[in-house]
Amino acid sequence: MAEPVATRKPASSIIEIEHVSQIFQTSARKDHQALSDISLTIEEGAFVSILGPSGCGKSTLLYIVGGFVSPTGGAAKMKGKTIAGPGPDRGPVFQEFALFPWKTVLGNVTYGPRQQGMSASEADAQSRALIEMVGLKGYESFYPKELSGGMKQRVALARTLAYHPEVLLMDEPFGALDAHTRTRLQNDLLNIWERDRKTVLFVTHSVDEAVFLSDKVVMMSKSPGRIRQVIDIDLPRPRRRNELLLDPRYQKYVVDIERMFDESDEVGSRS
Amino acid sequence: MMPPTTLARRAAPVLACIGLLALWQVAALALKNDSFPTAIEAIRAIPSILGDKEALINIIASLRRMAIGFGVAVFVSIPLGLMMGRSRAVAAFFNPLLMVIYPVPKAALMPIIMLWLGVGDITKTLVIFLGVSLPVIYHSFEGAKAVEEKMLWSGAAMGLSAAQRMVWIVLPASLPEILTGCRTGLVLALITMITSEMIARQSGAGNILFNALDMGQYDTVFAMIIIVGAMGIGLDALFERVRAKLVRWSEPQFDIPLSFS
Ligand SMILES: Nc1ncnc2c1ncn2[C@@H]1O[C@H](COP(=O)(O)OP(=O)(O)O)[C@@H](O)[C@H]1O
Ligand SMILES: [Mg+2]
Repeated sequence: MAEPVATRKPASSIIEIEHVSQIFQTSARKDHQALSDISLTIEEGAFVSILGPSGCGKSTLLYIVGGFVSPTGGAAKMKGKTIAGPGPDRGPVFQEFALFPWKTVLGNVTYGPRQQGMSASEADAQSRALIEMVGLKGYESFYPKELSGGMKQRVALARTLAYHPEVLLMDEPFGALDAHTRTRLQNDLLNIWERDRKTVLFVTHSVDEAVFLSDKVVMMSKSPGRIRQVIDIDLPRPRRRNELLLDPRYQKYVVDIERMFDESDEVGSRS
Repeated sequence: MMPPTTLARRAAPVLACIGLLALWQVAALALKNDSFPTAIEAIRAIPSILGDKEALINIIASLRRMAIGFGVAVFVSIPLGLMMGRSRAVAAFFNPLLMVIYPVPKAALMPIIMLWLGVGDITKTLVIFLGVSLPVIYHSFEGAKAVEEKMLWSGAAMGLSAAQRMVWIVLPASLPEILTGCRTGLVLALITMITSEMIARQSGAGNILFNALDMGQYDTVFAMIIIVGAMGIGLDALFERVRAKLVRWSEPQFDIPLSFS
């Protein structure tokens, strides 16, 4: 028997976004098209950034993949199955952290694995190791209100990693942090990611951040949100910030993308 | 050692009570009115009330009705308020009903309820229930409405069903607000308790008070006011302790000098 010829996609694709569009009903009774005909394939183990100006629908796209929002047109698929709702195979990390404030750091991190049926002692041991990995050893019994923004986002990352999602969905996770903390978290995220190479879909509006972290940058433009261009970032890994900043290839990516970014911003603001 | 500010905070209500009693004593001595006994006379009448078996049974019956009315109200109102806060349909269904009930003094409903259910425990407990329900529903509703959507999404991604999210995320996240409502509800329970016994004079702390008034035993009247007031203050203080313990995680904290480096 011959293999079906139609399966031209690489076998390793994990998420397929097919002609997704999203129309929001706004209060002014006018429909607002946030996303228009988005098609995108994300390969397993890839670090993919979605880059675009504010309001171009980046978060909406990520929420659709997360299953938190259902698209008004098209479909998003995970491993060939249409995404119908949230699930532990896709772990979100939000800009707002969204930690459970009534739980301690450890309580937050063990929550997912416990929910997935892991025994208390196993979840505890695993969570302590994760907390150490994100650099928060010693803070296990702290409540979220006692932590800085950067620490909260570390907890949020550990909390999501704890239930072993196949795909990490990060929505401007470092957007609310100061520049110094942001850089540190980028470095740490990259270190963690380079260990197990989970698929990551990472939303950002920072060009540096996208180029530094990603294998692939998906550039979006605004009104309606469309994919403008997909750029492969062909830089060696493991990446070290101090080396990369001096690398002319890195600099060229940043300059090129920044130029496109500015243009797409102008396109967006014309409407 | 207690820091001086904590000491001052603890002592303040006691000082306020003493001040109030002293003011009362002076006013009563100055007015020399039969229907206005001095604070000391009123306080002297307390042991004889608390020592009287009949009176004690009455007070305990009052407290029992109050506990049942409050308990049932909280038990029903929290789920209702939370569901209203998370579901537009549920809110739309119950809102008109609550808007009508809200401004009506619950004691004003007593004559009707008495007509239907008699002057016994059920009527009085129902009035207490009504008095407590509304603030608890309202605060649960506000609390649930304010729950961050991303928190619920995080729970959904971990595999929590809608019902589980309600119990394990919406409920604890709304707890500070819910308990604020319960605290108001507790004071209202005491108020409606006395009011109901004032209208349906058959038993209870309110009944002792108004019987004494009828018979001109003014020291007993004022002693009962002190007893009921003390019950209110005591219950409120006890509740506040429990509340503070339960929501310690939400209280703003300014004095932790932490930064990650
Ligand atoms: N729930 C919603 N209802 C109506 N409009 C929305 C909603 N969510 C997002 N939008 C609109 O859709 C557009 C894209 O939003 P978003 O995905 O948050 O953009 P980004 O994350 O790129 O800043 C914006 O114009 C925003 O106002
Ligand atoms: Mg966004």
